Amino acid sequence: MWGMTSGALTQLGYPIVQHTLANGLRVISSPDHIAPSVAVNIWYDVGSRDEEEGRTGFAHLFEHVMFQGSANVVSGQHIALLQAAGAVVNATTWFDRTNYFETLPTGGLDLALWLEADRMGTLLDALTQENLDTQREVVKEEKRQRYDNVPYGDVMELLNALTFPPDHPYGHTTIGSMEDLDAATLEDVHAFFRRHYVPNNAVLSIAGDVEPDAAFERAETYFGHLARGTQPTKPDGGPLEPLSGPRTETSGDVPAEAVYLSWRLPARGGKDFDALDLAFSILGHGQTSRMHKQLIRRTEHAESAGASTMGLIGGNSFGFSYARARDGISPEQLEQETVELIDQLITDGPTEDELRRAKAQFERHWLHELARVDSRADALGEYATLHGDPQLINSRIADIDAIDNDDVRRAIHQWFRPEQRATLIYRQERS
Amino acid sequence: MRDFLPRPTIAPAAVWTFPTPTRARLSNDIELMIFELPGQHVISAHLVLDVPLNAEGRDVEGVATICARTLDEGTLRHDGEEFAELLETEGAGFGVDLSLSGLQAVLDVPASHLHRALELFAEAVTEPSLGERDVNRHVQLRLAEIEQAQANSAQIASIAFRAAVFEESRRAARMNGGEPETVSQVTPGAVGDFHHEHFGPAGATLILAGDFADDPIALAERALGSWRNDDQRRVDAEEPAAGIRRMVLVDRPGAVQADVRLGGFGIDRLDPRWSAVSVASYAMGGAFLSRLNAILREEKGYTYGVRMNFGPLRTGGSFAVQGSFRTEVVADALAITRELIEVDQAPFASQEVDDAVAFFTGVSPLRYATADGVADQAATQVLAGLPDDYVDRSLALLRSVTPEAATEAYRSVVHPDELTLVVVGDAERLADPLRATGFPDLEVRAPDQP
Repeated sequence: MWGMTSGALTQLGYPIVQHTLANGLRVISSPDHIAPSVAVNIWYDVGSRDEEEGRTGFAHLFEHVMFQGSANVVSGQHIALLQAAGAVVNATTWFDRTNYFETLPTGGLDLALWLEADRMGTLLDALTQENLDTQREVVKEEKRQRYDNVPYGDVMELLNALTFPPDHPYGHTTIGSMEDLDAATLEDVHAFFRRHYVPNNAVLSIAGDVEPDAAFERAETYFGHLARGTQPTKPDGGPLEPLSGPRTETSGDVPAEAVYLSWRLPARGGKDFDALDLAFSILGHGQTSRMHKQLIRRTEHAESAGASTMGLIGGNSFGFSYARARDGISPEQLEQETVELIDQLITDGPTEDELRRAKAQFERHWLHELARVDSRADALGEYATLHGDPQLINSRIADIDAIDNDDVRRAIHQWFRPEQRATLIYRQERS
Repeated sequence: MRDFLPRPTIAPAAVWTFPTPTRARLSNDIELMIFELPGQHVISAHLVLDVPLNAEGRDVEGVATICARTLDEGTLRHDGEEFAELLETEGAGFGVDLSLSGLQAVLDVPASHLHRALELFAEAVTEPSLGERDVNRHVQLRLAEIEQAQANSAQIASIAFRAAVFEESRRAARMNGGEPETVSQVTPGAVGDFHHEHFGPAGATLILAGDFADDPIALAERALGSWRNDDQRRVDAEEPAAGIRRMVLVDRPGAVQADVRLGGFGIDRLDPRWSAVSVASYAMGGAFLSRLNAILREEKGYTYGVRMNFGPLRTGGSFAVQGSFRTEVVADALAITRELIEVDQAPFASQEVDDAVAFFTGVSPLRYATADGVADQAATQVLAGLPDDYVDRSLALLRSVTPEAATEAYRSVVHPDELTLVVVGDAERLADPLRATGFPDLEVRAPDQP
């Protein structure tokens, strides 16, 4: 199953078979009989980037509404029926997509597909004003719990606003504006569903204890009768040029002052983004990263520090770094020290050892990601939806392995220079 | 009128069993458990040390955490940065886990790199430098971590709840990583002494899980078989006890939500009621449409989610209803909770029991399908003194739970009028409504006040 080069796995061999139904639903099967479980995962190609002005938070609101029943399913029963079949069930919303998934004993596969098809086809039959109102309250509770009531909970929103123009698809966060949610009418919500929740805007991945023929036959049985919709157009956000140094600062009841830096990076799916992912890893991921060595171990100026990328498909991605200050250290000082580390990275380039470590860490992370059928199914949906090719999951390690020092240096120089950063200073509120 | 396919029935689940380990002993008596898992190319290694947290001196609690966190900051053979570089070059991840009943060092590494990574892993555990500067830094970082926790509503609630639900002299009542006043007393000398007295092969178990490229027994013997510590001291785990019932409101002026914990002293996995209580707790607050979540989230929209959790320890444990509610509805949410958790008039129904059993049975193959899932569970079993076939046995016991047994076991543990309450939120807006809702003895205190 494994291609071996110099003792390391490069080309993986997970079986992947694809089939597209007449209505445009892409179905991916990846059989694996190691456990009597099957993962069902649907990626809808709709995320917060698809929201219109004044309608932010809709994609995420839908993630909730999708559990409120459909023509043949009573509100809340979607999860209840699946849990009673031994399933782990959830859904998430992100800038580029909304995904719905359940993993359960193989004998429940038909039920899972039937439930997913029922809501893809008939959600609006069951969506009432009352359901909508309740879930709007639940979403507000989610926002309070995850953003408003935690220290630094507004960082993502502030960085989004610094990094992208307000009307850009990535200019707002997935949770959206509560005013927009309050203004949402039942008709708005119906229109959003009809536009995006169509079979030809979705990828269904079935990984685990079922053979491709059986998976495709069942997909046809449950989803085949659903009508194809109009193909939604994707928002055009770019690509935008790198930033030229915007700054902002905020304050809050936080235990330590902090600095966050962000960069516009190229969209995921090309060598430049992968090279930058390695560069961010070298700067700020793990104990051997330059930020950890310098800010935490040597100067001891930071209590925590790191850097990472967030790959996005719509023209640009994000890159971040952060550092939280120890007592007596200003965030500006941490900012300066981080900038010096990036300058050094530009001047000297990464060492061969650093590049090897970053690749080795990626390899473990990726093998881990594919080790479970549920996360494998999600990766299949991700690569099919965003890059048009689920087979890419088998070549990710080889692709990363092929990046050399010059690729990284070039990409840093083009995208990851200190003057291309946005800066957010987070201060302690002094009462 | 459209034709709809009828809702499919569920085919019976295939027989599944938890993997059986091969056991062996290294020449220094370390117990070895090997799980051969085909297709699992990231190996998971857990070294479980029988060092309960009550082995720490009362005045330096947190020393075990600082010691564990400093293990990979350099060894006698490789200085700090070099050691971390060697480990990461192998694509390895090193971590530690501290629980009341023991501590673990954990390694995850691609199978092709296991040999070298396991040697480095052994170095970190058996001959760490525990340098003065590294220890002092980790003390400062732990203090900063506590400050972060004290700024987080959910963490404040959990810390205050354990302090109240366990008898205050017991280790279980205080944070695993130590409280500020004892962490600040941890010195490099104390960390060195702790390692010297408590880290050793006696009572240790090495768990290896994955798809091995080489003989794991030989690798384990080479890495750890010659470890000796003649001064190793074994300490028995302390049994926690129940605290006195309290009702605490931790003030966070202006908070938009309140975190709530309502619970009490619980039972452990060896208690004969464990299976029945697990079923009951799932029906009350584990399922999405559990009694609590169906009303408080799905009907009322009061919360993003509410759960009832049982946290078993090696002996005893705790349980709590927990959730986060917007300030205006906290008192009402608690009044509803108080009604729902009383099952005298609403015993558990057979459908609730069936659903719970189907859920626990169904999620097991997935949960234990990976090397780290299996190794984690095996380590939990070692620390709780459970047999290798614990998962299979407990699933069989679950299937025999009747609705009557679930109700009876639940009632014997959950006494709705004797529960400890912790609320973290805006006291000015919450204190009076809470007192009026059946918590008259409410104590209000500031977040950093014990």
